[in-house]
Amino acid sequence: MTAHNMTQPTASPALPDGATSAAAPARRKSSCGDRVQRLLPKLVLGPTMVTTLLFIYGYVIWTGVLSLTKSSFLPNYTFVGFLQYEKLFDNDRWDVASLNILIFGGLFILICLAIGVLMAILLDQKIRSEGAIRTIFLYPMALSFIVTGTAWKWILNPGLGLEKLMHDWGFESFTFDWLVDPDMAIYTLVIAAVWQSSGFVMALFLAGLRGVDNSIVKAAQLDGASMPTIYRRIILPHLRPVFFSAFIILSHIAIKSFDLVMALTGGGPGYSTDLPATFMYTTAFSRGQLALGSASAMLMLGVVLAILIPYLYSELRGKNHG
Amino acid sequence: MAALDIQNVKKTFGNVDVLKGINLSIKDGEFLILVGPSGCGKSTLMNSIAGLEEVTSGDICIGGGAVTHLPPKDRDIAMVFQSYALYPSMSVRDNIAFALEIRKVPKAERMAEVERVADLLQISHLLDRKPSQLSGGQRQRVAMGRALARQPKIYLFDEPLSNLDAKLRVEMRTEIKKLHQRLKTTIVYVTHDQIEAMTLADRIAVMKDGIVQQFGTPQEIYDNPANMFVAGFMGSPAMNFLRCELTCGDGRYAVRATTRDGREYALPLVHADSRLQSWVGREVVLGIRPELITHVIPHKADADSVARFSARVEVAEPTGPDTLVLVELNGQEVDCRVDPREQAPVGTDMEFMVDMSKAVLFDPETEQRLL
Amino acid sequence: MAELTLNKPRFTLGRVFVYATLLVGVLFYLMPLLVMLLTSFKSMDDIRSGNLLALPDVFLFDAWIKAWSSACTGVACEGVKGYFWNSILITVPAVLISTFLGALNGYVLTKWKFRGSDLFFGLMLFGCFIPFQVVILPMAQTLGWMGLANTIPGLVFVHIVYGMSFTTLFFRNFYVAVPTELINAARIDGAGFFTIFWRIILPLSGPIFVVCIIWQFTQVWNDFLFGVVYSGGDTKPITVALNNLVNTSTGVKEYNVDMAAAMIAALPTLVVYVLAGKYFVRGLTAGAVKG
Repeated sequence: MTAHNMTQPTASPALPDGATSAAAPARRKSSCGDRVQRLLPKLVLGPTMVTTLLFIYGYVIWTGVLSLTKSSFLPNYTFVGFLQYEKLFDNDRWDVASLNILIFGGLFILICLAIGVLMAILLDQKIRSEGAIRTIFLYPMALSFIVTGTAWKWILNPGLGLEKLMHDWGFESFTFDWLVDPDMAIYTLVIAAVWQSSGFVMALFLAGLRGVDNSIVKAAQLDGASMPTIYRRIILPHLRPVFFSAFIILSHIAIKSFDLVMALTGGGPGYSTDLPATFMYTTAFSRGQLALGSASAMLMLGVVLAILIPYLYSELRGKNHG
Repeated sequence: MAALDIQNVKKTFGNVDVLKGINLSIKDGEFLILVGPSGCGKSTLMNSIAGLEEVTSGDICIGGGAVTHLPPKDRDIAMVFQSYALYPSMSVRDNIAFALEIRKVPKAERMAEVERVADLLQISHLLDRKPSQLSGGQRQRVAMGRALARQPKIYLFDEPLSNLDAKLRVEMRTEIKKLHQRLKTTIVYVTHDQIEAMTLADRIAVMKDGIVQQFGTPQEIYDNPANMFVAGFMGSPAMNFLRCELTCGDGRYAVRATTRDGREYALPLVHADSRLQSWVGREVVLGIRPELITHVIPHKADADSVARFSARVEVAEPTGPDTLVLVELNGQEVDCRVDPREQAPVGTDMEFMVDMSKAVLFDPETEQRLL
Repeated sequence: MAELTLNKPRFTLGRVFVYATLLVGVLFYLMPLLVMLLTSFKSMDDIRSGNLLALPDVFLFDAWIKAWSSACTGVACEGVKGYFWNSILITVPAVLISTFLGALNGYVLTKWKFRGSDLFFGLMLFGCFIPFQVVILPMAQTLGWMGLANTIPGLVFVHIVYGMSFTTLFFRNFYVAVPTELINAARIDGAGFFTIFWRIILPLSGPIFVVCIIWQFTQVWNDFLFGVVYSGGDTKPITVALNNLVNTSTGVKEYNVDMAAAMIAALPTLVVYVLAGKYFVRGLTAGAVKG
């Protein structure tokens, strides 16, 4: 800071003279430009707001309306009350589909959580080439369910697949024909879906484990707790939020499961592996019962909301308290 | 550079009144500090001056012109932020030149201005770096450089030093003061640090609960606080507040102080007059700064305004130049500032003198000044 | 925490268990990919005489060539190449447009909030969760009215509309962490809405763009539901074509061709995963916050 600088304020090249004279006219016309500036955020968000309200909420309502009509191949707005829902509950196929989603969803979520937690804990033990293993566990998530279904359909092929492999390896009596067994086919869906999604659960939990404060673990070790006890009593309870979000994601995947069924079993044998999502599709598009399909879609939405609302509620409450 | 006039500014968020009618006015070139605890409304007031927040009612004038409803860009102000808010993707040079570029200043002028500012703040060697490559102190300088680059009417500083470590903070404080003295700019500066407020300001506005508690020069505020909040907030160590009874004999007013072992003293109130008559026999709060209670200094001890007392040293905290000694009067703790060599050992009695000429009295209910 | 678990990894029984379990896991996850690859290089005779994990007698590319250019997907027997291009034509614009709109939306929702914008974000978040079955019928009718039924632009449109909830969420969560003081500084410097977006916000957004683009790419490329409902004969995406190819019941089943076609459908997303796995995982876990 030299003497030279002390004279600068008056000799500055960008002194306000220019700026003020430029600002003065700007100020006069500012009202117009400013109004545009003020409106811009709304203008930019506007299209999204309109599409969201229309294409999500509007369409949900529209589907709800359809489910109260007697539409078949084409929309027909003759209202019949809750007749379609009554029909739905009388529908044997829907019964199978709803029972299937319970079996499939329940097993899928449980097994994914179990494998995910186990693998995450194992990977957290200072494993050599952890990165490579993680990559391998997670790549199925990048695949389309159609690809997964195609691959597993071939692997589980009763003649040439796993069964033949086991025979070649010397297990002559091994049979595996779940894919064509109406009672067991639903479990092939569980296998393929677990293969695809459990790595993701692992990644979630691994991230959670890495986020646990090291000093808590140290403190517990100083208190004399063994590692299994520390995991069971301290770390896993700490990861409760991860359990919750994993549960939400998995149930969401389960309810939306459509592609996997189409590729792996096509809903068969017969309709033994129908899920609500495939039921809705076949009813509305292949069998031309729009209203009945809409009713089943509304029930699917109902289930999603039943799971989601308590979750979001507790999330938001937690946030407010935090 | 310009004067700033704030008239009856109110700001409401929902049903919370953040600013409850602020009136402030400073002259061209003055350094105004808004100080107060967090949540007092000082940052909201600053943002209102900047135009980042709309006021609910009231007027803000910069350089005589009303800017109350103008957007920030048309107010001709510059601001230094607490987090510095340097544009992370731009070099230091581009950061400083950005406002000029937006205002379509020709490139040559822009570069000349960047050089000038960089020279002024001694950051010329940093111009081609990215903010992420700078230390905290360097970022702070760049943030100031960005504000200085276009000679606005008013500079706004929003807690600019609070992210620096203690040593750097003191250095930058001095530098800001020098800068202000050299450039003679109008500055509004928000801080919660009363030392910064005292050292930098021409005028201080002490705020609390959306109200300006007192507006004045640093010395006025220090010597004549308007209420117990201002008195307690400004100054470190804080002013002693001693609840005691007001007495009057022969038209001389005093307050009564009793030590732990029962010795009773009358501390004279030399500026008191008959306006205090109604308070005689009632409890008042005596405000007296620690530096006014010292060891006995012989040539000062005989003045009219000085009282002497003796009390036991409860705790002693050496600070280097002085030692803070804690004694008990009227069952309350009182800080005294004594010469380290004169301090009696803890647990023993020590002789003190109180300079009552700068003592103040507060109403214990309203906490407002009585004297 | 790892270094605490085992202060110095030693050869212990526990360690053996850990590695053995992980190895089983690795084999389980790798096996289907391996089977697909092996099968796709075999001849049908080879498939019948060998087993899933046997190496091909001769590595043949016949199945890949057939899958690409002459396998039957339903009525047409022109392989999946046309549908592969359809998928590209759908995916590229859908991903770019929905990502860009998501960036703008996220910018408004964090830095230019207005009355009701938070409420709107909540409403939009909900859009991430709905099962699409509940909107496909009305959308089918709307596409018909707009003359977009069975067209690629129609599919692009659908993917943009229903992808936007996610892209907005990604950018909103990213921009929430960008200090608002930065925007205030730029406003005081005189920059307006778009100047701040272009000059200040976009240069910061590289990572989130990668995350969002990868996420959207896998979502749109792997989509089946919209593809099967809204595409016509020539505009099917690759997933639909693959499903048709595999489930066509005419003639002899050619598992090698099925697997080659499945690999073709899987390759783009697999390549992206291998190249940018870090961002892919980040997208997944960011998506996890939303649920």
